[in-house]
Amino acid sequence: MRRPRLIRQLMATTLPVAMLVGSGTGVAVADPMLARNMSAYGMPGGIDTPTAEMLPDGSLGATLSWSDYARRGNVFFQALPRLTTVLRYARVDGINDYRDEGFISDRSLDLRFQVVDEQGWRPAVAVGLQDFLGTGVYSGEYIVATRNVTPTVRASVGLGWGVLAGKPRVIDVQDQGGTPNVDQWFSGGAKPFASVSWQVNDKLNLTAEYSHDRYYARYSDGNEYQQGDEPGSKFNFGASYRFGRNYEAGIYTIGGETIGAQFTIALNPRDAAFPSGLEPAPAPVRPRPAPAQDPEGWSGSWAQDPTAQPAIQTALADAMAEEGVRLEAMALSPTQAEVRLRNQRYISQAEAVGRTARLMTRALPPSVETFVITSTTDGVPTSSVTVRRSDVERLENTEAGQIAAASTLTDAPAHVPGLVRTDDLYPRFRWSIKPYLELGIFSAEDGLTHEVGAEARASYEIMPGLIATGALRQRAFGDIGQRGPGIPGERGEYYTPEEYESSPDLETTPEGVPRVRSDTRMYTGNSSPVIPELTLAWYAKPAPAVYTRVTVGLLERAYGGVSTEALWKPANSQLAFGAEINRVRKRDFDQLFDFRDYEVTTGHVSAYYEFTQGFTAQLDVGRYLAGDKGATVTLTREFANGWQVGAYATKTDLSSEEFGEGSFDKGVTLSIPLGWAAGQASRDRVSTNLRSLSRDGGSRLEVNGRLYDRVRESHTVDLYEGWGRFWR
Amino acid sequence: MSGTKRMRAVALSLVIAGLAACGNTGPDEGGSGPISVLARTATDTIMSSRAAQPAAPARTPQEAAAEALRVNPGPLIQVGFEGLGRTQVLALAGQNGAMRTYMTPSEEAVILRNGMLVGTRGLGRDLSVAEPGTEGLIRAGQSGRGTRVMRYLSGDGLERPLQFDCTTAPGPTPGVLVESCEGHGVAFQNNYLVQSGQIPVSRQWVGPGLGYITIQTLRP
Repeated sequence: MRRPRLIRQLMATTLPVAMLVGSGTGVAVADPMLARNMSAYGMPGGIDTPTAEMLPDGSLGATLSWSDYARRGNVFFQALPRLTTVLRYARVDGINDYRDEGFISDRSLDLRFQVVDEQGWRPAVAVGLQDFLGTGVYSGEYIVATRNVTPTVRASVGLGWGVLAGKPRVIDVQDQGGTPNVDQWFSGGAKPFASVSWQVNDKLNLTAEYSHDRYYARYSDGNEYQQGDEPGSKFNFGASYRFGRNYEAGIYTIGGETIGAQFTIALNPRDAAFPSGLEPAPAPVRPRPAPAQDPEGWSGSWAQDPTAQPAIQTALADAMAEEGVRLEAMALSPTQAEVRLRNQRYISQAEAVGRTARLMTRALPPSVETFVITSTTDGVPTSSVTVRRSDVERLENTEAGQIAAASTLTDAPAHVPGLVRTDDLYPRFRWSIKPYLELGIFSAEDGLTHEVGAEARASYEIMPGLIATGALRQRAFGDIGQRGPGIPGERGEYYTPEEYESSPDLETTPEGVPRVRSDTRMYTGNSSPVIPELTLAWYAKPAPAVYTRVTVGLLERAYGGVSTEALWKPANSQLAFGAEINRVRKRDFDQLFDFRDYEVTTGHVSAYYEFTQGFTAQLDVGRYLAGDKGATVTLTREFANGWQVGAYATKTDLSSEEFGEGSFDKGVTLSIPLGWAAGQASRDRVSTNLRSLSRDGGSRLEVNGRLYDRVRESHTVDLYEGWGRFWR
Repeated sequence: MSGTKRMRAVALSLVIAGLAACGNTGPDEGGSGPISVLARTATDTIMSSRAAQPAAPARTPQEAAAEALRVNPGPLIQVGFEGLGRTQVLALAGQNGAMRTYMTPSEEAVILRNGMLVGTRGLGRDLSVAEPGTEGLIRAGQSGRGTRVMRYLSGDGLERPLQFDCTTAPGPTPGVLVESCEGHGVAFQNNYLVQSGQIPVSRQWVGPGLGYITIQTLRP
């Protein structure tokens, strides 16, 4: 039985008070040696050199740095207490490629692992890989030790290879990049580096370092480039200033002549402005009167009255609606009540369940002792929390783990005898017209692009589980224009839309791969209205732990057709399996009702596993949009407050050459609940997918309503993770 | 872009700028996206500051208490939220055994058990639940030692306990018992006016986010 372990975990967690206060200066006991300033590479460190410091666990942020050598946008994430990762987009000055612009755009990824933390006389020691996917301008490795010399002075000494030793590796111009060159790691001769940082006060930090990096790049075609000016000396100096809870600004000099500046914003999922949320207090429990005061209510004879249930259901539905929960249906007997709810407001399902339990004590006659609170999503029941009313009365406003231990979680059957649907819920028509803003942030070649317009969206829930959705968009302005894919062999050149549309054979690359995503830009920049989505979806639960979805219509911007999915996910299981099969046809670039010639059957079988420490893993094996076969591995870290940070990689049977730059598809996903940032209860999120490039290999259909994330919200791991909000 | 096209784009963008999302979708019904949530938060802030303005300067806490006693026949308390810089009258919203939930008109709650703070709700940095091991000593007006556990929702969404070591002793003012607690690098003092086991007036520490509140019983 897994539940008790989860509940124990729920009840045993402690946190130093500093984390609850959220003060930037408070050092948490659980974290290893923490950074006091960021390097120009978006890592804890000196200026160019690394240190063995870490960031507070879960920290997510960005460091932007400017100098004559490069402009870098670094996105960092402390994936584990001792593992720091950085994804970097750099404009490296002084290097010419086919574009002949005097700079190149470069993506790179770093990892740092802290082997041991500082203890007594022993310094903290870390090992790191810089720009390790393929050989790039920043490729290098290091081992570094950091130690506090006095409470305010910290020193680091390390050994560096590659650029850190001033011996840049030769970059293979033919290489598509994206795969680690393990045989080059820690090779080519090492040189020492060192840094000292002085924390002058809470805000100001001064840093000096000794670095061998000479900002030089060598290519296999014989070209060699000096980025900026060659540093005049090996000594660099910097100052950084922290302000507010989340910001740091710094200036530095490299080799005495080149000046740089940087700015960092760091967020920590543990550091919310309003951790308990600003939503109104729940209606409190109303204990039952003594039996002598309400003999009829306690006897259950009220159930004979046919008007009792409708009146109770209406009152309960109204009260629940006030608190952001929809009462879909109710089954009422003299001793037991089952309510089926749809949570429309809270990021934690437990809060919806807890509020409903309290409202039930206020609405139901005293003889009803057993509460069955069933969560539904898209009209389909997903799980039931069964709790005794006496326990709700007894345990109100106690440690959340107690009510978890007193309740049980089970699968919810699709049909229950006596279930009465709440009046006037279906059919339900909803519409809205809103402005939209689309941003292209991480395109190295285009910089920041945007599009603004209006979107009309409507949904029609015909009956529970059957829902029609449509959207219509009109662009107003923006600089995301229509464009064909890049011309093969002529990097930096693109087909014009007219060229691309007039010759259908261009829709296959010279390597024979159908263009399923690399012509994405053909779907943008329409000045007439477009239909991003127009679907009819049917959700069902044919067996106790089996969920299904069928979606037909214009599924996404570029594809229409039929998408079907089945998921096996028992409420108490950390393991789930799914299968998805889609038959889709490529939509025409005007995004209306016409289709192009490409048609494909794509699908996957998937395995999902939720670890109890906030990690989820997913493996998909199947056939992708271009007809290529392969697998995707996704690892996501998630917090009880709804933060999700994940990384995925897809490898298919396309060769690196067929795939193109990057060799295989990989990316990072971020999702931050708005409620975490604003304090207002809301299920909305800000999500983004930092994908390396729009490539054809390893691409999947982007259909809405995939089952797994919707179903598991009310299942064992996700539900109990957020259980602390039961009495909220 | 031709002239007319540009004109049309400009006209359209003006329409969009003036378009504060419309529709029949409720605030809870998803898909509203970042812009509308931020707009809603801003609207709430503006509305609440507007609502607060006419009332706040005109009335002293005493006047507010007098008016509440006149309007509301039920049990009332007046709470000064020191960390938030405001004093409000809270009315009884529910009672479960000895535990009473009092709420402000905007549904922020303070939960008490016979005058001792159990929790708060709706204030953003709430106390989920307090488990004062010193409760018996305080009600009896005795000196002694005890452990106090305070549970909070932390930023990452988990309920976390903080444990404090506390001593109780009579304070300088007669009838006032002082509970001094320490732990996790924090020290705080709760003051209770104890009258035959009841606590009509007190100053209690809510937590690291909210600081102290003073509670005065207007009508038991």
